[in-house]
Amino acid sequence: MRRLRPRLALPALLILSLVVIALAVPFLGLPNPVRQDIPNRLTGMAPGALLGRDEFGRDVLSRLLWGARISLFIAFTATTIAALAGTLLGLLGGWFRGMAEFLSIRLADVILCFPPILLALLVVTIMGPGVATLILMLSILYTPGFVRVAYGEVLSTRNQDFVTAMTALGATTPRILALTVLPNIASPLLVQYSLTLGAAIVVESGLSFLGLGVVPPTPSWGLMIRGARATMEQAPLLLLWPCLALTVTILAFNLLCDALRDAFDPKSAAGAGARPKPRLVDCLAPGLFPSRVDPGASLSVRGLTVEIDTKRGVIRPVDDVSFTIGAGETLAIVGESGSGKSVTVTGLMGLLPAAARPVAGEAVFEGHDLLRRSPDQLRALRGARLAMIPQDPMSSLNPVHKVGDQVVEAILAHRSITRPAARAEALALFRRVGIADPERRLDAWPHEMSGGMRQRVMIAMAIANRPALLIADEPTTALDVTMQAQILDLLADLRRETGSALIFITHSLGVVAEIADTVMVMYAGQVVEQGPVASVFAAPLHPYTAALLAAVPQDDAAPEPIPGAVPPPHQFPQGCRFAPRCGHALPPCGEAQPLRQFGNGREVRCARAGDLRFGRAAHDA
Amino acid sequence: MTPDAEPLLVAEHVSVSFSRKRLFGRGPAVRAVQDVSLRIGRGEAVGIVGESGSGKSTLGRLLLGLIKPASGEVRFDGRALQSLSRAEWRALRQRMQIVFQDPYGSLDPRRRIGSQIADGLAIHRLVAPGLLPEAVNALLEQVGLDPSHAERFPHEFSGGQCQRIGIARTLASRPDFLVADEPVSSLDVSIQAQILDLLDRLRRDLGLALILISHDLAVVRHLCDRVVVMYLGRVMEEGPARSVLDAPRHPYTRALVSAMPRIGTGGRPTRILLPGEPPSPSAPPSGCVFRTRCSFAIAACGEAVPPLTQTNHDHGVACIRLADLP
Repeated sequence: MRRLRPRLALPALLILSLVVIALAVPFLGLPNPVRQDIPNRLTGMAPGALLGRDEFGRDVLSRLLWGARISLFIAFTATTIAALAGTLLGLLGGWFRGMAEFLSIRLADVILCFPPILLALLVVTIMGPGVATLILMLSILYTPGFVRVAYGEVLSTRNQDFVTAMTALGATTPRILALTVLPNIASPLLVQYSLTLGAAIVVESGLSFLGLGVVPPTPSWGLMIRGARATMEQAPLLLLWPCLALTVTILAFNLLCDALRDAFDPKSAAGAGARPKPRLVDCLAPGLFPSRVDPGASLSVRGLTVEIDTKRGVIRPVDDVSFTIGAGETLAIVGESGSGKSVTVTGLMGLLPAAARPVAGEAVFEGHDLLRRSPDQLRALRGARLAMIPQDPMSSLNPVHKVGDQVVEAILAHRSITRPAARAEALALFRRVGIADPERRLDAWPHEMSGGMRQRVMIAMAIANRPALLIADEPTTALDVTMQAQILDLLADLRRETGSALIFITHSLGVVAEIADTVMVMYAGQVVEQGPVASVFAAPLHPYTAALLAAVPQDDAAPEPIPGAVPPPHQFPQGCRFAPRCGHALPPCGEAQPLRQFGNGREVRCARAGDLRFGRAAHDA
Repeated sequence: MTPDAEPLLVAEHVSVSFSRKRLFGRGPAVRAVQDVSLRIGRGEAVGIVGESGSGKSTLGRLLLGLIKPASGEVRFDGRALQSLSRAEWRALRQRMQIVFQDPYGSLDPRRRIGSQIADGLAIHRLVAPGLLPEAVNALLEQVGLDPSHAERFPHEFSGGQCQRIGIARTLASRPDFLVADEPVSSLDVSIQAQILDLLDRLRRDLGLALILISHDLAVVRHLCDRVVVMYLGRVMEEGPARSVLDAPRHPYTRALVSAMPRIGTGGRPTRILLPGEPPSPSAPPSGCVFRTRCSFAIAACGEAVPPLTQTNHDHGVACIRLADLP
């Protein structure tokens, strides 16, 4: 909350002073706002009348302040009545549905059908102009807005798990509505309140200007504008003051309510989403010294480091990551959330968010460093030589285009062939990835397909241009196990056929064992162990790898939890990053550890590697 | 039947279907749960497994009375849920609770966690208002959290911690029946083990009857005494967790077990790939709902819904070809 105060302070101060002035006007010793002084009409600023006098010689400052009192009173009262009535109706309509819903929503619709000015004319004709009429009119006018907002919000909130939890606890309906639903729909209602308050002041002035609102000689901003309009040529300043007052008031309300909404949201209060700014300079010359490159490799990454500027300082979610993957090989990257797996591959694809940048390292793919290619060069590579299979096939397919067309577009984006040829190729791809009835499925919409089918479409799209490297980020996490088995088989087949390399990100060690040749275990942005899957899983060298393996329930061994959690990037420990959670930590672990070679293509980052034994090796010993 | 002889919760032939409102009339009914019978004893843990669309979550909510069955009966502690008055219902709610899959979505983002945990105590007046903070602290400790965190908001916690808070809230009303709907599937494997450990400990310490809804067979095998395998709203196989998951009989359970990725290579059954996709629950196949993807299906499978046949101790399989299966 503390960081938000400056944002809240300015508008709050403005509104507070407005309210205080409005309340204190009778005690300020101002001249009577309705006392006329015809001889001195339209005189300019002078002692005794700081802002001059109007067409009847009345003191403008006094009328402005008394007018604020009237305008604010009408706007606040009408808006509050509308907010209370509208929220109550919307709440009941959205919660109970059925008859309550019909009554409240249709009532609101009926009112919304009337143009506001017509409604005003109607009410004024029946009741005669005056403050009470205005308040009634404005309350009726603004109730439907609150009904609509409250109703819509209740509908989306009522199905949340935490509301179901309250029902399961046996809470009464009023308790659920007051304690659970209302606070969660409060912020859009607050915004609505601010908008309505502003609008009410404008409409009040407008109606008074038209002679339908406040009755002269009662001071009101609308009446003042009306009067000043007639004498605009002699005393243009008279028009300025009430308009200025209106503008400042409305602006202050809007600012206040924006700030209020943020303050009421516990998440933004803690500044969870720190928004860093990118530094262009760092993108231009990251790591100038190329190192050893394996010529047979499809992709060779050396010392990849990604930094992000945040309000808490520069963080390094990926720190000195190196790996090599050859054609036809599969590399699995595993680790808990927050270990830097996804940032590593999005860095390679050139798809990092604007705030993040690779600051060191190189990633050589087909003779070029991916980290130093221009955005245009990268765009030409992506989807062609480099393709990605996303985690969630639903949100990755465009819901308003047929799936076949999306695959055709993916082909046409990188190759100049005719559309019918591309469609024929899409058909072949659908057949290849095992989509039953491919002719018909080309014309299906994404929502007509199951999760497994959609993931097949994504795979068809990814392999459409015969990529040399496929990157799959948790491609089976959203799928059922039987679908997962089908997709893993498909990926293995494709890799054998096309000889493309596959980088597979997953948190499921079982999937790693099924599909990968080599595994890279990441923890807190660093590689802690890497090597051939069979030997790493049989005899892990790093305590973290061993702990991950032990945490998976399998056979009769009870899963062993790893205490604690991955630290956030701004709290990475100085030494070995896993040491605080490690049961084997010793004093040397307080110092940063290098990644050490360990024979048979294995590497490990642990001070005690070699003297600790885990897995099958430990049982044999 | 005396209350002691009847299990804590009994569901008999419950069915439920949903239909979507359309512009004119209603759409086809989705038969989410069909003719399911289930018994859960005090302190027993039962796993419900199946893929998405199998109706396992709907069944869980049905057992809690959050959804009313279209036919059949659910009895809790000898009393039929349908026959209860509102007040009786509210009192009974105290004894049956739910833990959700999404640890963040299940907590009100706008209230401090301490007051959310206190809800269960306050609603059922289990603790005098003055003693609430103490009781909340005790609950936080019980789930392995620092009592000083009571004044924080949900977003200040990690997923695993939020799941612990959700569990603390359910424990506040002192339930004896808990439904955990995929409680660990959105958590990292290291954190999963922490939560499973906690659930297991609570079950033993408090004698909780537990329904664990999960698609992860290994989790169910580890935590549960018995398991129910569902497909398209129907029970395919049920029985002791070890005997069902180590030696599955039903063709669907076999495919499910073989599809689980395993770390070790030893003892892994050859993977049985199910052809195609599950049929739509609004138009399930006649007879055995699994027959369209089953490699053992014969014409007779489409004629009648196969009954759950007891093979041995409590192990039931709904397959007419049981004797002919290899």
